[in-house]
Amino acid sequence: MQRGLGVRAMSGVNRKEKKFAKLMRNQPSNITFSSSSDPGAGRSGMGSSESQTDSPHYSCFTHHQGVNGGHVQQQQVGSSHQPSCYGDRQRGSHRGGFRGQRGSSRGNYRSYVQEIPKIITATNFAQARAAEINAMLKAVAHKSSSQFLQSLPPAMRRRAMSHNIKRLPRRLREIAKKEVEKIAQLKKEQSKSKSRKARRRHGNLLMEFNRRQRKNIWLETHIWHAKRFHMVKKWGYCLGNKPTTKSYRACYRAMSKQCLLQDLSYSCCLELSGTEDNLLKTLGRLSSRDAGTTFASVACLSGKRQGSLVLYKADQYPTKPLGPVTFLWRPKTPSENRQLWIWAHPALKMDLLTELQLVCQCLDVPVPEPAPSECKTITHVTANQTVPGLKRKLQDNAGEEVIPEKKIIGDGTRDPLQTVTWTSLTSGIVIEDLTMEILRYRLIGPLSHCVMFEALQAAAILKNSEGREESGLRCWWSEYCKRPENMTLHNGQEGVLLLLPGIASPAEIPAGTVLGLTVGDPRLNMPKDRTTAMPDPTQVKDLEKIRELCLNGVGAEFAQSEIWDRNVRNIVTETKLTEQELNQMRSKLLVPGSRLDLGPQESKVPILLVQQPGKMAGQEHTGWGSGWDILIPKGWGMAFWIPLIYRGARAGGLQEGAKHTQYKGLPHFPDDFPDCPAGIQHSMETEKELIGKYKKYPPAKRPNYIHHGTMTPFRCPWQQLVEDWKTQNQDGSFKLAGSDQEQGLRPEMQVSSREYVGVHEKEISSEEKPLKLEEEMEEESESVTTLEPNIGCENLQNPSTGDRCSESGHVSILRSRKLLKQISTWCRPTSSKGQQTRRYVGSAQVQMTADAVKAIICSHPRFLVWVRLSLLKKGSPVTNATICIPSEEDLHLLASEPNCPGPQEPKHRDPFKHQFKASKSQKKRAFSQDPETAAGDLQRKPVASCGKDLIRGLWPDRPQNVMSHCSRLTIGFVTQGDFSLTVGCGEALGFVSLVGLLHMVSSQPAERRGLALVRCPASLQYRFAKIDIEV
Amino acid sequence: MSMAENQALAPASEGALDMDQVEYTLRKRLPRKLPKRKNDIYVNMKTDFKAQLARCQKMLDGGCFSEICIHGLGLAINRAINIALQLQGGSFGALQIAANTSTVELVDDLELDEGEPLTRTRNNSAIHIKVFHTLPK
Repeated sequence: MQRGLGVRAMSGVNRKEKKFAKLMRNQPSNITFSSSSDPGAGRSGMGSSESQTDSPHYSCFTHHQGVNGGHVQQQQVGSSHQPSCYGDRQRGSHRGGFRGQRGSSRGNYRSYVQEIPKIITATNFAQARAAEINAMLKAVAHKSSSQFLQSLPPAMRRRAMSHNIKRLPRRLREIAKKEVEKIAQLKKEQSKSKSRKARRRHGNLLMEFNRRQRKNIWLETHIWHAKRFHMVKKWGYCLGNKPTTKSYRACYRAMSKQCLLQDLSYSCCLELSGTEDNLLKTLGRLSSRDAGTTFASVACLSGKRQGSLVLYKADQYPTKPLGPVTFLWRPKTPSENRQLWIWAHPALKMDLLTELQLVCQCLDVPVPEPAPSECKTITHVTANQTVPGLKRKLQDNAGEEVIPEKKIIGDGTRDPLQTVTWTSLTSGIVIEDLTMEILRYRLIGPLSHCVMFEALQAAAILKNSEGREESGLRCWWSEYCKRPENMTLHNGQEGVLLLLPGIASPAEIPAGTVLGLTVGDPRLNMPKDRTTAMPDPTQVKDLEKIRELCLNGVGAEFAQSEIWDRNVRNIVTETKLTEQELNQMRSKLLVPGSRLDLGPQESKVPILLVQQPGKMAGQEHTGWGSGWDILIPKGWGMAFWIPLIYRGARAGGLQEGAKHTQYKGLPHFPDDFPDCPAGIQHSMETEKELIGKYKKYPPAKRPNYIHHGTMTPFRCPWQQLVEDWKTQNQDGSFKLAGSDQEQGLRPEMQVSSREYVGVHEKEISSEEKPLKLEEEMEEESESVTTLEPNIGCENLQNPSTGDRCSESGHVSILRSRKLLKQISTWCRPTSSKGQQTRRYVGSAQVQMTADAVKAIICSHPRFLVWVRLSLLKKGSPVTNATICIPSEEDLHLLASEPNCPGPQEPKHRDPFKHQFKASKSQKKRAFSQDPETAAGDLQRKPVASCGKDLIRGLWPDRPQNVMSHCSRLTIGFVTQGDFSLTVGCGEALGFVSLVGLLHMVSSQPAERRGLALVRCPASLQYRFAKIDIEV
Repeated sequence: MSMAENQALAPASEGALDMDQVEYTLRKRLPRKLPKRKNDIYVNMKTDFKAQLARCQKMLDGGCFSEICIHGLGLAINRAINIALQLQGGSFGALQIAANTSTVELVDDLELDEGEPLTRTRNNSAIHIKVFHTLPK
């Protein structure tokens, strides 16, 4: 009985000790008393007698810390000379302390016995004590504001003491009163100088908004979004991520059946102007015809269509891509110069801009800008944000007086003096940065043009006499109206707009059709309530014209719009009537609520409508997610946004945008571009973020990825994967991979792959290149080139150049359309969809022979292929899931039991378990010593820090032999995966190694070709999936 | 509802445009969508036959509609006829059918590697079957 009690008491003490140690962790050594000594300290100030008995107890506690850690300093010895202080409690704690340690470190006890010093120096001892006393006094003298309450022992505390001083014991009231007054004063000083009402007053609010916009750009719809969306700060913008309402499915339905609206104004526009020949010549270096569209594509060049392509660094195709862009040529004007808009993602913009400047040989020569004073905020360069140093701060302070209460339109973060125009002296090309100058709204869904048709009305043509009355800037429209050819153009454009309701879905007209338009103020004919625009078949009159429109799209001449003209854009932005003015005019209407007719005063806004093709590739769900983009001059954002919303468009954020691209089967920038600098950056950031999140969970509440055989659950190790497959290929083991033999793996292969892994990792992280290693790589590539037979694939850039010139990782993505088509047919099972397949396997199609496969492999050793996987049965893959080759047994299993869930990965052993345990116990020891030893013990530091990188459940080293880590050979990883609402089953998009894919396909029987396995990072279950390469 | 009629497109008669197979990519556009009433059912080849049949049956039994219209395009014509006949057969003479055929113009895009993309039109047959109660309810 006694004994049991003792144990309990001991454990209690032990716990207390631990707690105390935790409190003392970050204390400097000479202050051993802090919070726990406070009560004593406080009372000693009050002259309480208890304090004298208290303090020795506490000091004894600290001593035990030191003893248990096996580390003795002088002071312990000192205290051990005061046997009178030791009560029963201390002895108990002594024992308890040892008991806790006995299991793990018995040796410590012995060392403790041995280490008791024989003598102590009095001076040293006294000095140490003096320091302690000093610290103690200091702590007593400096009281924090809430201390007077905490100084009372718990038994004497009463409810609401801080509220009513009279509840305190009388002796403390004086002090407490002073304290309370002090706190009140502090609070008063800190509080906002203005009342809420004052803060919300328009001017002040605007000032506040302007201040907040200096760091991250706000879109014009920011306030609207901020009220309804989860906002995130990304790429220097404040963007709506997803609606706060639960509307995942509603947004999907809007996309596929109604209309979803998205603000894409954050995408950056770069304008290039120059002669057509010069432009094409310089830009031709950035892209290749092999990958599909180029800037010179006929339909795009006329300005009739919008094109999209992936840009590469100059002359570097197929390695070193920059990222995907869309581009738009201005239709030919009488002048010789052509204008080209390149729309890019903000993460890509700086890379693109520097590359363009390089290619065009543009210098930082500011062109005299015709911009009026109002557009002080034209553009921004991201570099500005990356250096949030003094410079901007100063400028902010200075700028505060100059532009105090003007609404920021466009980019608020840019330095007004920054150059946004660059001219080339040799070719005469002018590059202009139009970020935030033109807004872009995207409407997705079959009803999008109904919404558009109802919201937009073509501007009324002015008679000559009417135009005359106008003054100054407003008259761009009357000037425009004076020319008859403009009027016929305008009428034509209006005619096309009127045809739109006759079309049931935007997918029915040619992809990328551009329609220029000048519309009236959309705020004037708003419905009172939110309505849903529906197609009205009765309005359709001219069936023949609609048919013509569907077949040939809009003529190139109708793509002309004045939005291309910078002056017109500025005028339109400046002369916009504010909401307030409009409302004032409305209030003066004779019949309240009737339509306000401004007549010639109504603003005319030039816009561009661009059709966005939906799902183009593949056979299924063609045309899904098609819609329209509206390009608007800046300043008019909300004026267009609200009318669109009022016509039944549902707003979506970044998340919906990502889903849209995912269901379309397209790679999403920057997530799915692991070969672009922006993509690499993005993956590193996400990994860091995810690891942080992972670490927040206790080890038992998070998956142990080592057990699951997942080396990199938070990123995809493309580099290692590709290298592994390349090595595998060179070993010549291109037979069917029996998974079990592969498990054992040749040792030399492991070694070599590790070597390469190391090299490239280093190169990615810090762009330093050890010369020796580079030589090795070159040898490597040479061996490849000698292997390469002379086959007639003209698109094959020789791989040696590809090898040498990629510091940012050796991975490239296959974008050659011809090759993709070829592989796409190879991946299809021959028996199903006979007709479709036969069409592609034409006379010119290369049959899948060993030679053809080998040729491709040799010429493209480090390439990845974009694939779509649809799961056959259950399961929804997630990001970073592995794509594996099914073994022969798996295929048999599938054939015999079509309903089986799929094979299982055996649970992996955790080779780091012991390491982890060891480091943990080390840490513990170091930690328990801390309060005593942290004084100046520098030697101890490495012991504590060695276990820092080790996160339980995560592979600590660089991943090695990624390909063969699991029982099935890995060929790739999933970058986006989810349950697809369009298809109705799990669907994944990702990359596979080209070599691995061909290896898989060539070893599979013809009717089961293209079957793969997918496994989520936190699961052992493989699922069957069908690989599709959609071209 | 499921409007994937495009699945049912039979391949057009090749040879209307005799081009080298590699030179272009063929992309079919969606067939023109027509305004749809509540009792229109577009049959496709992707949804399970039984499910489509059950859907039609439910509509007729529900009492909301005295007639429904089943549309099939191309490959799905067979299936549309099949569904209509099944409905009629299972109704013990309470249902009657009336069929109409038509031609639908479809548009294909030919994406050439060089030059302007072409469009071509081709025709495909479609069927519209009206299934109605003989005795008006």
